[in-house]
Amino acid sequence: MIQEIANALVESWRNFATAFVLFVPRLVAATIIFAGGFFVALLVRRAIQRFLAWLGADRVSLRIGASEMLRQADMPTAEALIAKIVFWIVWIGFIVSAVDTLQFEPFQGLVAEFFRFVPRFLLALLVLALGFLVGNFLWRATLLASVNAGLPGARMLSGALRVLVIAIGIVMALEQLGLATAVVLTAFAIAFGALMLGLAIAFGLGGRDAAKQLIEQQLHAKRERDADAAPHL
Amino acid sequence: MESDSALSDALLRQLIAVGQADILVGLPTLNNAATVVDVVRAVHGCFTRDFPRLRTVLINSDAGSTDGTPDLIRNASFTDAGMVQTSHALRTIHRVVAPYHGLPGKLTALRTVFAAGELMQAKVIVVLDPGGPATIAERVTELIVPIARAEVEFLAPRYRRHPRDGVLITQLVRPLVRALYGVALDEPLGAEFACSGRFSSHCLEQDIWSHEAARFAIDLWLRTEALAKRFVVGQLWRPAITTAGARTTLREAVRQVVLSLVESLRAHESYWLKADGVAELRNWGTDPVVLPDAATWDYQALGEQARHDLLEIKPLLEEVLEPDLCARLMDDGPGVSARLDDELWVRSVYAFAIATRLGRTSIEHLADMFAPIYMWRASAFMSHTASDTPAIMQEKLNSLCETFLRLKPALVARWSVDM
Repeated sequence: MIQEIANALVESWRNFATAFVLFVPRLVAATIIFAGGFFVALLVRRAIQRFLAWLGADRVSLRIGASEMLRQADMPTAEALIAKIVFWIVWIGFIVSAVDTLQFEPFQGLVAEFFRFVPRFLLALLVLALGFLVGNFLWRATLLASVNAGLPGARMLSGALRVLVIAIGIVMALEQLGLATAVVLTAFAIAFGALMLGLAIAFGLGGRDAAKQLIEQQLHAKRERDADAAPHL
Repeated sequence: MESDSALSDALLRQLIAVGQADILVGLPTLNNAATVVDVVRAVHGCFTRDFPRLRTVLINSDAGSTDGTPDLIRNASFTDAGMVQTSHALRTIHRVVAPYHGLPGKLTALRTVFAAGELMQAKVIVVLDPGGPATIAERVTELIVPIARAEVEFLAPRYRRHPRDGVLITQLVRPLVRALYGVALDEPLGAEFACSGRFSSHCLEQDIWSHEAARFAIDLWLRTEALAKRFVVGQLWRPAITTAGARTTLREAVRQVVLSLVESLRAHESYWLKADGVAELRNWGTDPVVLPDAATWDYQALGEQARHDLLEIKPLLEEVLEPDLCARLMDDGPGVSARLDDELWVRSVYAFAIATRLGRTSIEHLADMFAPIYMWRASAFMSHTASDTPAIMQEKLNSLCETFLRLKPALVARWSVDM
């Protein structure tokens, strides 16, 4: 009986020792990958930042209005932000590799999954950035055009357009990531439909007379606003 | 090469038939049937009476008139029926009427005239405004003589204006050009001018003709190009022009003027960044002295509109103007008693100039954003000088020019920073 217990213990110890001997090199390798990945990611980050500075990315960012948007959102400059995103993608790639090296059953295939996810993530970021840029541009253009045309509520109109475009950008980005696609799309469709229907009912039925009056005023105001330039030239 | 590409085959054929010319008068037209015959007669009178020994040609460059303007020019008799002609040209006076090809607008018309001038080796090129004051021969001759005598290479008209007239010129274009280019040019946007063949050939070699903004920036660009490239520039007193019948709205006019200014500032930055002081230009002709009546317009309504628009676009202005400037602009304005003093106005103008340099916002958007600020300034100036005599108003306009000049170093410093 005692001998059997001893054998079991020895067997268990041997298994543990074998597993340990097998695990330790993987752990060391994973640690090296983890730490090395950090330094590699740091180097890549610096290289990217310098390369973007050399390319004049901040100037482009200023030109398209992204800098102003980032500043308002308390975010770093475009150069720093892109470098930071690249840093995290690279380091997370190394972390995933490190975890994969450990060969834990639940994390098997993580690397392949990660590298399938990265392009989608980058595309989602691009879609999001485009959404912000287009939203910002349309906001500016609509505000100026509405003010020039003498439309009432120019700020509200342009602001609503910006929110709508950015919301579409966010929904498209989430769809790209495959996160709760059905819920997000349904919620967006319902909200957008409800908004449009509400506006249509409010403007067409509830405010029919007001709408008529408003349009007449606008036509009249437009004529008044388009003052002749002659006395100014 | 420039001449060839700017001239249609039909026009080229006509010009070759004419041969060389000493004086070329260009007449760009677009639906000017009401006034163009008088101008054509004046040109012919000028050629016949004052330059009978020279080779002369009148070229009408029409933008596609639908009121029969080209036919009127083609068929116009050289004199009034009741007028006795006392002198005759010794050479044939040529008259070429041709629609131009390319984008519609004065830019293409001028390019056609310049290219024709180069082809015909014209020594004097005059461009007339078909709705302008050149309705008698003397008005044409006085444009030709200083160039023909090689006393000057670019002759710009100047007009005796009431200080309440031409607010966009007196509040923005004139003081800005004066301060930046260091020359007391009165009318940077005039439609008429005369220049030497050398200057027109120089202009043809520049790449301005392909610029989108040049469609309406060409008048200003010609003047500033002459200044920046150190051609001898002079001014000629002309009779007051009527302000009635402008073909554009105020906002569109402000937009076009801003785009024109930006085009010139960019093209000549190496010149104006170093220009200093203000030099007077030599003048020809006689100052009419008598002030014409000022046009009346509702400046209070314009001020109210400007105030409303400024509040609406406040978030956009905050991106362009420094915080203290924007705050002052917003605090300063409301109501009929709006001040918008000289310094605030000039700082705003220079802030927009810097914004065009930074490139954060498109030039077109900046021009649209600038319109309400101008409208407000125009309203404020008119309102605060309502009871002033013309002499006092003129002093205020001169003082504004001084402010533009005084604050120029700040603009130069910021513009010069390498972005």
